[in-house]
Amino acid sequence: VNWDAWLPILVISSSLLPGLVIFFLPEEYHLTRTILNLAGAIAKFGFVGIMIWGVYHGHAYQSRLPLVPGLDLILRADPLAMLFVVLSTGLWLVTTVYAIGYLEGSPHRSRFFGFFSLCVTSTVGVALAGNLLTFLVFYEMLTLSTYPLVVHRGTEAARQAGRTYLTYTVGGGALFLAGLVWLYAVAGTLDFAPRGFLAGLPGEQGPTLVAIFALLITGLGVKAALVPLHGWLPRAMVAPAPVSALLHAVAVVKAGAFGIIRVVYDVYGVEFAHSLGVTAPLAILAATTIIYGSLRALFQDDLKRRLAFSTVSQVSYIALGVAVVGPVATIGGVVHLVHQGLMKITLFFCAGNLAETLGVHKVSEMDGVGRRMPWTMVAFTLSAFGMIGAPPIAGFLSKWYLGLGALQAGQDWVVLVLIGSSVLNAAYFLPIVYGAWFKDPPASWPVERSFGNKETAWALLLPPMTTGLLALAVGLLASAPFSPLSWVRLIANLEYAP
Amino acid sequence: VNGTVSQLLLFAPAAPLLLALALVLFPKTSAPIAIAPWAALPALTAALIPMPFSALHYSWVLLGADLGLDGTGRVFLLFTALLWLVAGIYARAYLPSPASRKRFFVYFLLAMSGNLGLIVALDIMTYFAFFALMSFASYGLVVHDRTPEAIRAGRVYMMLVIVGEMLLFASMILVMRTSDSLVFDAVGPAVLQSETRNLILLLTLLGFGIKVGAFGLHMWLPLAHPVAPTPASAVLSGAMIKAGLLGWLRMLPLGDAALPLWGGAIVIAGLAAAFFGALVGLTQRNPKTVLAYSSISQMGLITIGVGLGLLAPQAWPLTLTAVLIYALHHGLAKGALFLGVGVAAVPPSVAWRRWLVGLGLLLPALALAGAPFTSGMLAKALLKAQVAFVPMPWGYWIKTLLPWTAVGTTLIMARFLYLTWPRSRATKSKELGIWGPWAALVAAATVVPWLIPREHTPDLWSAQQIGAVLWPVILGAGLAGIARWTVSRHTMKKLPELPPGDILVPIEAGARAALQLGRWFSLRWLPGKYGMLIAGLTGMYTRSTWEDALISGEAKFGRWVVGVTLFLLLGTAIAMFALG
Repeated sequence: VNWDAWLPILVISSSLLPGLVIFFLPEEYHLTRTILNLAGAIAKFGFVGIMIWGVYHGHAYQSRLPLVPGLDLILRADPLAMLFVVLSTGLWLVTTVYAIGYLEGSPHRSRFFGFFSLCVTSTVGVALAGNLLTFLVFYEMLTLSTYPLVVHRGTEAARQAGRTYLTYTVGGGALFLAGLVWLYAVAGTLDFAPRGFLAGLPGEQGPTLVAIFALLITGLGVKAALVPLHGWLPRAMVAPAPVSALLHAVAVVKAGAFGIIRVVYDVYGVEFAHSLGVTAPLAILAATTIIYGSLRALFQDDLKRRLAFSTVSQVSYIALGVAVVGPVATIGGVVHLVHQGLMKITLFFCAGNLAETLGVHKVSEMDGVGRRMPWTMVAFTLSAFGMIGAPPIAGFLSKWYLGLGALQAGQDWVVLVLIGSSVLNAAYFLPIVYGAWFKDPPASWPVERSFGNKETAWALLLPPMTTGLLALAVGLLASAPFSPLSWVRLIANLEYAP
Repeated sequence: VNGTVSQLLLFAPAAPLLLALALVLFPKTSAPIAIAPWAALPALTAALIPMPFSALHYSWVLLGADLGLDGTGRVFLLFTALLWLVAGIYARAYLPSPASRKRFFVYFLLAMSGNLGLIVALDIMTYFAFFALMSFASYGLVVHDRTPEAIRAGRVYMMLVIVGEMLLFASMILVMRTSDSLVFDAVGPAVLQSETRNLILLLTLLGFGIKVGAFGLHMWLPLAHPVAPTPASAVLSGAMIKAGLLGWLRMLPLGDAALPLWGGAIVIAGLAAAFFGALVGLTQRNPKTVLAYSSISQMGLITIGVGLGLLAPQAWPLTLTAVLIYALHHGLAKGALFLGVGVAAVPPSVAWRRWLVGLGLLLPALALAGAPFTSGMLAKALLKAQVAFVPMPWGYWIKTLLPWTAVGTTLIMARFLYLTWPRSRATKSKELGIWGPWAALVAAATVVPWLIPREHTPDLWSAQQIGAVLWPVILGAGLAGIARWTVSRHTMKKLPELPPGDILVPIEAGARAALQLGRWFSLRWLPGKYGMLIAGLTGMYTRSTWEDALISGEAKFGRWVVGVTLFLLLGTAIAMFALG
């Protein structure tokens, strides 16, 4: 058996197969469903672990499924793919635990966990895609598997949010498809290659390539929530907390951001993209998004809405790092894929805990919540400080590399954007932290559930504490082997090595 | 042996950090809160062990963290650890209820960890991380009492912490553009070589200047230092304020090159702070606010020393000694004065004991004023001696103005003594637990000039030297005496008091207006414009039939059937394109 070809497929199917089985499980088979979910997640962890070790030692894993002559579906594990795969696999595991606790006793759990598994399958597929076509297939599959999760509650608000979500993402997908077809017509291949495969094309193709770039980035920008394509994201926060957590930290917005990385690095090649003049507009777009999202977050009273606008802002750090051409900025942008994921998933878990345990949905209701739910708020505080960029939490290192990279690329203005964003982050996170820890709690909470002497159920408490501690650990131990930062340095070497 | 002992450097910040963690993790156990006041002992031990430490390198931490203890660090560690230790023991008795004591110690220990850690940090990023820990954690100390004043002070403090963090972030990445190493030894030369040298200098001066309470950046300090519980005020004004100074000493290219313009600007800012702090402080009625303004004034004098480093780089080694001794002197004396406020607030009923309290307040006050045979005289004389190396006209002006700052300090100390002198005999003094640590600190502040090796203090105790420092003190004391005996207490009470934070008042008004504007911008203008854009774009299709079909289709077929249909359509599209 050729394991090198089978491993990527095993990684995909370890969540696909349990997901398909779960669809047909009767609602009350709680234990079977939990076992399937966790077994899938753990199996995926194992496969990914093997692949990480292999990729680190220069091993290539590739599966190729011939579709039509000249066009294959390719799954390939390069370092960049592995970064995203590890993020999805790890956070899928904690989110599954969280979702089991969160949805306990609520209806339609088989449908939920089925689509949940499909969603992570698509994300891992997006990560492992070895060419644009494979990427598109999983990217669209992601749209379709997340839609039922967004509308899961079935309320009118959820349906409306779902409709908006679908309108935006299907529209974006169509643009992306158009760009892809055009690109295939021009270049004759869609296979990702380090430093791109377009640099060799004749010079008069320049304008065409710029147009294709615009189509692809617009298509991806919908999911990455670049302004003005971000409208769906704050509305989609009506979804249950684990879905928001996954949507904001791993699945949807990250698939968009990851796509932008792939298009710039492995389709166009960053230096070629720079010479085409398309990186500067992307950088400006990302910077605008960063500031705009923060400004909108500032005065939102709904906690999840504030977090959603914060996502709009923070995810664009990734695009910014890509668009500021240079190895150091690349490290800052790409590592933020992981750093933002850890911090934001923690924040959404915490928001979910507050809603589930106390019925608190608004920032203005959070006074004194630190005394009632200290551990949840410790995790929240850690992540919030990370978002602001306080050392040594993960977000600081992203900002450090982005700022330093921008200076080295001669784009000093980016530092001002980073500083402005940090100040705004402080302005919308610190009042929450202040109210939670330093104000007196109200006489009674809106809808309080009791969990004995614990602040909330273990399944709800452990996930945010794990991810919050990880957000601290990946910053504090940033230079440890296999830390996200060390791994991203490896990736940047591939893209910029002489 | 050296290697093992060197681990103390890690333990210095780790001990309070772990204790803070233990306080949070085991709220019902009594051991952590019992040990908490002693958390600075490892750091103090490290500062006192008379042997060089080998540097520690942690390659996994951040971008490689370096800890070590050089001469500068040792002096800082000595007075910082001593102050934290004394304040910790004092706090144990000072804070009445166990609940508030625990809450206090969590923030106290975290801030301590940051303050001790930044002293042993030898690279930029580790320093910055500990600095942030200290700055954010001490917010909890500022707002401990939850009064409206404390909360306002906390807000102003936090805003300036954020501004400072941003300035320092920018300055550090600018340094790192030219430097290929994060270690402080490489930073000075890198700053000099950088093409953005002036910007780096400006950002560093402002960023750490906020912590120092430099002129124009000081407005948070008279609000925040006094509202904190007294032991916290002592460490804020005695120890943590010096973290900004250490930042300057580490980052600025002191002694490496002559930058007369920068040096001159720093000296002017220092003199301005020295006089301004003393003058505004004189109008204050809260003794702790008077002390906070005195800190601004004293840090102004130390700032002059930093300016000398850029005006006369050849004399930097001795100027550094003067700056270090000044920092040590001010740390101990100011700490003793702050702790004394708490002691004098509950004066003993026996007269001679009251006089003892008065003496305990007088000694560090005299030291700050620079009276003979005090640490203050030593520090001031050393600083003044270094002015001789400064080229004209700077040298002349500094030499002329320096004694007059001592007059200001004497006046402000007289004001402080007038406000705190233990008079009434009404209260009972049962807070013996705060007496011990306070007395120890007063003693330390009094004897410290005699413990400094003689080679650093050449012919200091000569009659000529004593005469030079004596006249400002006598003049100040005389002026204070005249004011005391001519102006009635009634008139004294009616004298105008400048609002603490002085220039903060107009700044706050401006900030409030800006916030209103921001709120309007974020809630009205931006969504409005965006909404118009989207309405324009979507107007064409929102009423169109396929949207309606989607809605009705959704209602008919359930939700995920639509998804599958779309998926199939998409698949067909891909297949058609692939075949075509």
